[in-house]
Amino acid sequence: MKNRILKRMLAASLAAAMMMSLSACGQKKSVEKQELDVTMDQITLGEDYTDIEADLKFLTHKTDAVDTTFKGYIEEFQKLYPNINIEYEGITDYANDITTRLTTGDWGDICMVPMTVDKDELGNYFTKLGDKASLAKSYEENMLNNYAYQNNVYGVPSMANVQGVVYNKAIFKEAGITELPTTPDEFLEDLQKIKDKTDAIPLYTNFAAGWTMTAWDAYIDGGATGDPDFVNTGLTKGENPFADRGDGTGPYAVYNTLYEAVKRGLTEDDPTTTDWEGSKGMLNNGEIGCMALGSWAVVQVQQAGDNADDIGYMAFPISVDGKQYVAAGPDYNYGINCNSSEDNQIAAMCYIKWLVEESGFAQGEGGLSIVTGDEYPEALKDLDGIDLVVNNPAEEGEENLYNDINNDSELGINVSGAIPTEIVEEAVSGTKTMEDMVAEWNEKWTSAQESNGVEH
Amino acid sequence: MNEKKSFKAWIQSGKVNRKLCIFTFMLVPVALLVVFTYIPFFKMIGFSFYDMKYIGDRDFVGLQNYIEVFTRKDCFQALKLSLYYIVASFIQLALALYFASVLSFKVKGGGVFKGLMFFPYLVCGIAVGFIFKFFYTRGFVLDTVLQWCGFNLESLPYWLKDTSINNISVAATSIWRYMGQGMVMFIGAIMSVDSSLYEAGDIDGANSFQKFLYIILPNIKTIIVLNMILSITGSLSVFEPPYVITGGDFGTGTYFVIMNKLAHESQKVGLASAMAVVLLILIMIATLIQKGIEKYYFGVGDAEPLREVRKRKKRMELQAKGGTK
Repeated sequence: MKNRILKRMLAASLAAAMMMSLSACGQKKSVEKQELDVTMDQITLGEDYTDIEADLKFLTHKTDAVDTTFKGYIEEFQKLYPNINIEYEGITDYANDITTRLTTGDWGDICMVPMTVDKDELGNYFTKLGDKASLAKSYEENMLNNYAYQNNVYGVPSMANVQGVVYNKAIFKEAGITELPTTPDEFLEDLQKIKDKTDAIPLYTNFAAGWTMTAWDAYIDGGATGDPDFVNTGLTKGENPFADRGDGTGPYAVYNTLYEAVKRGLTEDDPTTTDWEGSKGMLNNGEIGCMALGSWAVVQVQQAGDNADDIGYMAFPISVDGKQYVAAGPDYNYGINCNSSEDNQIAAMCYIKWLVEESGFAQGEGGLSIVTGDEYPEALKDLDGIDLVVNNPAEEGEENLYNDINNDSELGINVSGAIPTEIVEEAVSGTKTMEDMVAEWNEKWTSAQESNGVEH
Repeated sequence: MNEKKSFKAWIQSGKVNRKLCIFTFMLVPVALLVVFTYIPFFKMIGFSFYDMKYIGDRDFVGLQNYIEVFTRKDCFQALKLSLYYIVASFIQLALALYFASVLSFKVKGGGVFKGLMFFPYLVCGIAVGFIFKFFYTRGFVLDTVLQWCGFNLESLPYWLKDTSINNISVAATSIWRYMGQGMVMFIGAIMSVDSSLYEAGDIDGANSFQKFLYIILPNIKTIIVLNMILSITGSLSVFEPPYVITGGDFGTGTYFVIMNKLAHESQKVGLASAMAVVLLILIMIATLIQKGIEKYYFGVGDAEPLREVRKRKKRMELQAKGGTK
């Protein structure tokens, strides 16, 4: 008897708890989405909306800059817009956490748009910042493609990166390298020279950090082929994209360089215990010869020690018909929460515009500014004369295709670094040859293409 | 009569009051349990029938995800790694039992030792991971200590890179971390053993080992079996050590690490949910088997083991037939 009553009470409290959670869900959905009729290009900084009042929350991946650089930005910005308060929240594991937080709808006002949002979903999460044609009047048009859907732009890049190799000039000189390598073979020979003639680790993989391995994925398109359409025609729709092309270009050449470097012992002894923070200082003072990283890393490496002048940046050593190319593309994009109040959205738009055009963030980070006509930063002057390749957007109706195939194949190109990770593992202690792995990747990629309706 | 009682009197009457007490006390913990455990759990079961990402549309695919879990090579391959952790957990239990039986008697500085050995359990799992990452780095702590002992650095393996030992290295960290917790549980159980049994043992001239074998062990067998079940189920779902120390690379990716990779890097949330459900069922089966074995060989609590009961029955049947020898 007693038991039965207890059970009933339990059931009742369970039901009550369920009701509570249900009603909480219901409330969230009833909030109406605010449609804005202002776009970024229509705002004149310092003239429009200067009396707008808003408290903005900004989610950022740059945890190190929250209390330093960004504080300065807020002060500067408030000289123009005294009533806009901005609070930064740094997230350490940004790439993972932001996706989960986006799904709640109530995460703040501005964030760096994660790669996981499909293009046709952008409008459900982010405010339209303007249409491509009008934004392209002041920004580089091909930098706006990443988060544009049907000509509406939902994210504006904080800066753009080029994909090359950070190296220590002093070490290269010590090893007797007078000309920078332009082919994978020359590169491997140079690494061997560094190993023989200096005490430095020729190439440091930063394997343990995980995300650093995606740098190798970033070389395979524009940089390795010189073709801005390679992502669409070569990867998304191409047949067996990882196969050896035989001429030292394309994805195979990039990945094979890594495989050979590890196989020949030109990398650090133990990849499992590499230390990312420490590696910047080691490259700076000549304990490391070079690292495969985007151009954003140059400034960080320069600041990590006393030898800023030794640090240089070169294109990835692949030549297509005797000519070198460097892939360039946008870094994280700023996006605005479309569930925020109208005032907050407009205020956020002002701040983003200011960040992109006035703050000097891109230059400070050693990246390219996306504003048309801005100069190369000092650190990248070495790349003068090498063609930049920016990927073209996918055709209309196929905006999600690349992401879908990439996810389904589980190769995680530019996302997880699964391919470079496997290469290092197999080169160190595995049994698979480069050919075995290439065959597997091609198989996975092809079956993912098939399940997404791509036919050859 | 009853109807004339006021509401106040009714609510203050012993019977109602007591139930009200129980109800209000239960409300908060049950609500928390439901909101943070059961709703997410049932949602996850729901997710496992969809082809979905975190963001975007979901397609109902029925059992497709479950079929994939069973046909993929890497999922069940990863479960083999659990063997390393099961072995580690038995070593950990043996050590814990040893220290517990030593420390539950009067030992000089016993409290300090207990504290020191329990301490690792208080350190958060992620921090433990980072500690051991540096511990195993070439030329760092472990290598240095071994060099003091006369080992040559050249002859030492790379603890995390060498695929023949890296799983042992990683599993060893969980011994370090959980040994103290097991020990404290055992000490608690040993403390509850009636001290007159020891006195009786002393009178009969039992030595320490005999006391352990015939007095302590039978009295704490329930808690030992409980710890074994927890260790084995824990071994099937190891996550933190490989995730933090090696990131699951070089063949150290356990079932959970692979699940996490699928969900976060390849955005296959439905498949990962199905993996979680499959693991849950596996753990439930493992627990049931263990419970059965325990019931058969050891008996639960004060109940006699089933095996003894059956043996006796057989004997009695034989006796009844008059066939006793």
